[in-house]
Amino acid sequence: MDLHTVRRISSVLVASQVRSGRSTSNPTSFFGQPIVFAVIDGVVFVVLFVGALVLLPGGSPLAPVLRSVLLSALPFVPLYTVGAVLVAGIMFELTATAKFSGSDAVNWLPVSPSEYVLGSSTAIAYTYSPALAFLLGPLSAVALRVGLGGSVVLVAFLGVLGLFMGAFLVEMVRSVTQRVGRSGGRRGRYSLALQAVALLLLILAVQLAFNPVFLFDSLSALGVLAQVSAYIPPFWSVHALSLWLAGDALGALLFVAAQVVFAVLLLYAAAELRVRYWVVADTEYRFEALEYAADHPVLAALGLDRAESAIATKDFRSLTRRREMLPMLVIPFVLFIAFLVENAGANSTASPLGHGLGLVLAGWSGGLFALLLAVASVGQERRAVQTLFAAPITGRSVFRAKVAAVLLPGLGVTVAVSAAASVIYRIPLLDTLAYLVVAGAAAVAVALWGLAFASRYSDFQDRPRPQYLRPLPMTVASFSGLVLLFAILLPGAYALGASGTTAVAAAVGAAALALTFGSVGGYVARSGFDRLFRELPF
Amino acid sequence: MAANESPLSSIPSPGGPVLEASHVWKSYGSVRAVADVSFSVPAGQIVGLLGPNGAGKSTTMKAVLGLVRPDAGSIRVLGIDVSQFPVEAKRRIGYVPEATSLYEFLTGAEYLDFVSDLYGLDPAARRQRIPQFLAGLELAGHENALISGYSQGMKQKVALIAGLVHHPRLLVLDEPLNGLDPRSARVVKEVLRNLARHDGVGILFSTHVLEIAQAICDQLVILRQGTVVATGTVADLQRRAGLAGSGLEDVFLSLTGTGDLSDVVSALSR
Repeated sequence: MDLHTVRRISSVLVASQVRSGRSTSNPTSFFGQPIVFAVIDGVVFVVLFVGALVLLPGGSPLAPVLRSVLLSALPFVPLYTVGAVLVAGIMFELTATAKFSGSDAVNWLPVSPSEYVLGSSTAIAYTYSPALAFLLGPLSAVALRVGLGGSVVLVAFLGVLGLFMGAFLVEMVRSVTQRVGRSGGRRGRYSLALQAVALLLLILAVQLAFNPVFLFDSLSALGVLAQVSAYIPPFWSVHALSLWLAGDALGALLFVAAQVVFAVLLLYAAAELRVRYWVVADTEYRFEALEYAADHPVLAALGLDRAESAIATKDFRSLTRRREMLPMLVIPFVLFIAFLVENAGANSTASPLGHGLGLVLAGWSGGLFALLLAVASVGQERRAVQTLFAAPITGRSVFRAKVAAVLLPGLGVTVAVSAAASVIYRIPLLDTLAYLVVAGAAAVAVALWGLAFASRYSDFQDRPRPQYLRPLPMTVASFSGLVLLFAILLPGAYALGASGTTAVAAAVGAAALALTFGSVGGYVARSGFDRLFRELPF
Repeated sequence: MAANESPLSSIPSPGGPVLEASHVWKSYGSVRAVADVSFSVPAGQIVGLLGPNGAGKSTTMKAVLGLVRPDAGSIRVLGIDVSQFPVEAKRRIGYVPEATSLYEFLTGAEYLDFVSDLYGLDPAARRQRIPQFLAGLELAGHENALISGYSQGMKQKVALIAGLVHHPRLLVLDEPLNGLDPRSARVVKEVLRNLARHDGVGILFSTHVLEIAQAICDQLVILRQGTVVATGTVADLQRRAGLAGSGLEDVFLSLTGTGDLSDVVSALSR
């Protein structure tokens, strides 16, 4: 393996990432250079380190308490970094189109699959390193104050190793997911759907297997945490740090060595998978013969004309057939399942609090799904959007089609997840039905809110890491949408569990919020689509 | 044209122009893409739009479609002002873009059905026409496969069918023969000739392959740096360049000021 080649590949991939969101700015500027992440790491670390030092002067009476907290928290830092890279990887790396996430750009060059995997993994680990700096800054300062400063070096080492382990896992998932977008050779639409489901389960399994909260809670709930954790590789860094902090250096080093070996095995597995998909043949997926000009009775019943129905139907196919749309599907389910496992105890499922939490999370998962679909609904058209621009349709028609394409699956998932919560938490049917109205209203409101952003700030560029919205609007849309969801769901759930005037007030408040933000979002989105379709944006 | 006026009130007489571009200007920021471009496409004629890279051909074609809004000037398709009545104009235009961007998660048949829905093509017509085109361009048998598995030439064929399927009165074709095999290219050229001669379709045709332009175009419009430098038949242009009897390549290089390439060739050959 030529490390110079690895470094060059890594450098190019990082450059493509830092420039992916900057279509107009100068790519040779400082913010377009790979060094920018190192600078962010340094600045984040120093600012938080110094801030924590200032806030916690030497000899603080809080020191004993903080030392105790730190002894519990520090061992989990490396596991957290693995989970953080995985979550970010699923969100951002797997959304890359096959054209960019495949190895076609390099497989004709004198580069081996192992060199490519290590270079790509290094790029991923480096890109998400600010997450580690964000933790290490304040923890190092506190550790210094409470006499655990020396341990931070081991935490940092295992944290960096965790970044790489997360990156290797992302690489493995990425290699496997090439099959959905690029190859196949099977017949029938069901084979494609089955592969998509298999991938969803794979992503879900990998996400949960390295999710520290999920692992800890599920093993604790089963009462086997102490007995089995030493045999679970993701926990080896936790054991290493726990033993180190307890003064058992030899035991700690053994677990560190085991963790390093496991990381190397992950790299090997990732490289082997990439070898398998190093050159992916474009093979035809064949479907049953199409009936031309088929009717769309459901969409027609909703008031959509034939062109609008065609656009909505096309978007449904996009959701189920495109690999880059998989994260949209998997995120709400990962959150919901993780929550269910964390609250699997009989007490929580039977309690009113458990009812409320279950319903809120169900509504939140469905609402999040609708929000993600909405913000991506326009940008996911990519350059093919010019088909819509060249066609004799108005922006208003596209708006109506997009509303249907977002709301039907969004509400479907909301109903499905709420029904699951209702069964698991043994919630009475009437309560569930009443809550479905709240959750449905929340999903509609955030969907229209998301469409408002999508109609004005979508990004159609074909990038290594595609973004459906420009970065700042994406941040604003996601944050405001999630706040809006909670603002509607919490009082809505409260109104169901309470009685009297406060319950009525909560219900009215939730309805008013949904109506206001839904109306504003709908109005802004409608005018946004009118404006968007005046001129091709690229 | 007043806002309440019908977009069809000024449809030209038979044989009149299906496309009239008049003093069209368009800039992107400080970059001037087209400047004072005027030309027309008569019914039943194929007009070639030629020019070096960056000459403004694609911008001009997108302006004809209403995909970009000119800063000044007007474009009329069958008498319909494109900027005022874009939907009515688009209904009458078939377009094949230079960079074929299709929805690759659809099958070829699904894509063509989708486009037919957008253009409001009636079911009976699409059931008849789509299979005909698929067979003619040797795509039959592949139409129920995902477009993501198609070769570049197959994607181009799908884009061509999508541009032709709804009986457009004006065809705007940006490098339509890119990636096509010789047989399909021949079929497309013959289809275009027939559409022009027998159905009176006007065709605006952009290509860098000058032999094709010379073979099928009735008129040529040559752009350079966003302006029209010459218009007319091949014979007109030969006369204007003082190269009577020469091939279109020599005429083109002469008119676009890129005639003497010996230094470049010499440097690149070392």
